[in-house]
Amino acid sequence: MKENILVKYNDIHKSYGDLEVLKGINLGIHEGEKVALIGPSGSGKTTLARLLMTLEEPTKGTIEVDGKLLWHEEVNGKLQRASEKHLHEVRGNIGMVFQHFHLFPHMTVLENVMEAPISVLGMKKEDAKKDAQEMLDKVGLIDKVDTYPAQLSGGQKQRVAIARALVMRPKIMIFDEPTSALDPELVGEVLDVIKDIAKEGKMGMLLITHEMDFAMDIADRVVFFDEGIILEQGPPKELLNNPKTERLQTFLSRFMNAN
Amino acid sequence: MWDWSFALEILPEIVSALKITISATFAGFAVALVLGLILTLLRRSDKVIISKAAQGFIEFIRNTPILVQLYFIFYVFPEFGLSLSPFAAGVVGLGLHYSTYLSEVYRSGIDAVPQGQWEVGTALNFSKTQIWTKIIIPQAVPPVVPVLGNYLLTMFKETPLLSAITLVEILQTAKIIGSRSFRYLEAFSIVGLLFLLLSYPSSLLIQRLDKKLNRR
Repeated sequence: MKENILVKYNDIHKSYGDLEVLKGINLGIHEGEKVALIGPSGSGKTTLARLLMTLEEPTKGTIEVDGKLLWHEEVNGKLQRASEKHLHEVRGNIGMVFQHFHLFPHMTVLENVMEAPISVLGMKKEDAKKDAQEMLDKVGLIDKVDTYPAQLSGGQKQRVAIARALVMRPKIMIFDEPTSALDPELVGEVLDVIKDIAKEGKMGMLLITHEMDFAMDIADRVVFFDEGIILEQGPPKELLNNPKTERLQTFLSRFMNAN
Repeated sequence: MWDWSFALEILPEIVSALKITISATFAGFAVALVLGLILTLLRRSDKVIISKAAQGFIEFIRNTPILVQLYFIFYVFPEFGLSLSPFAAGVVGLGLHYSTYLSEVYRSGIDAVPQGQWEVGTALNFSKTQIWTKIIIPQAVPPVVPVLGNYLLTMFKETPLLSAITLVEILQTAKIIGSRSFRYLEAFSIVGLLFLLLSYPSSLLIQRLDKKLNRR
């Protein structure tokens, strides 16, 4: 096993009204570890990721990030809901790439990538610019710095979104179906960028994807989700070649047939 | 009927009163812009009491006539120790009344910003204030600029109401000229014409601004 645990879900539940989406999740992610979440739509994968990004609040249970509770804070020995300040502090460890990119339409590509380092990290403008340019170079978009998002293809938009998340230097990056909104011919360029980042190794990844080959390729561990619980997990080859549950067998065979 | 020499004689007096009309419009609009934004933000507060209070205030102002509000500010407030000049009372009255409309305009602009923009703001760890100032407002305002501009024009055309609280703006000036000379035709015609001459080009300007701002 690798060094320290970076993210730890402790008996996490999440309900919307009567509908329980997550039914007691326990999951640890090590520093630098690449974890792929797979499973049918509606199985709770995205919810699990959104809880970590503080976009949704757990109904029950705790999440630890880098040894600190994310959604809770201990005040006078009692656990209570974390303040905005506490959330802000712990959230800095986490980054996210969304299915629908969510670029800032009123900013150029360069401004999209520069804004958060300046406003949130307090970086100097020149430093942020240099850093943003390097990162855009890395995702192959250095010639698009002055372009507005509306003029980019889906694949280019997603690569900008990746650069924008990367400049914040998170310890773990969530990729929430990063290629699901793309035309098929644009999927490859985005997957290649993510693979390159994965190879650098330092940053952890929580990857939600339906691109099974890609997940098997870059993940250290694959977690199979169904109906709000973790059914199986392990190294990609083991899961792929030797699925223990019938549900995983069915799920995988559907993908094999599709390819 | 129409006396050209009389019209030319009174023109400078009316035009100079136009300064009051225009400054009351802009000052009132500035109040409405700021107050409208504050009302919008209060209405979106997590605290139910605050959002309900803001909502109630908006409904109250919108459902009472502006003339009554102006009379209240000018004639009733002094009884509670707040005396305002006709100009100040007019600016506050217009600003207050129109802030409730502008608040609605802002709201529609904000609602049109996709939910994902708020989420990515959180994901990049912007503070709540920064999400507003850097992400939401810059996207919410440009699309509603033409609507805001139209309210500016509407407000401009409502300034004659301020003559009711003794402000000597352009209509009041024309009335004074009329009662002095018993000639109303020239004075009121000039007033109407001046409003037209200013309003119409402004509306064209707003259209151009809209095209420029919302090109992307």
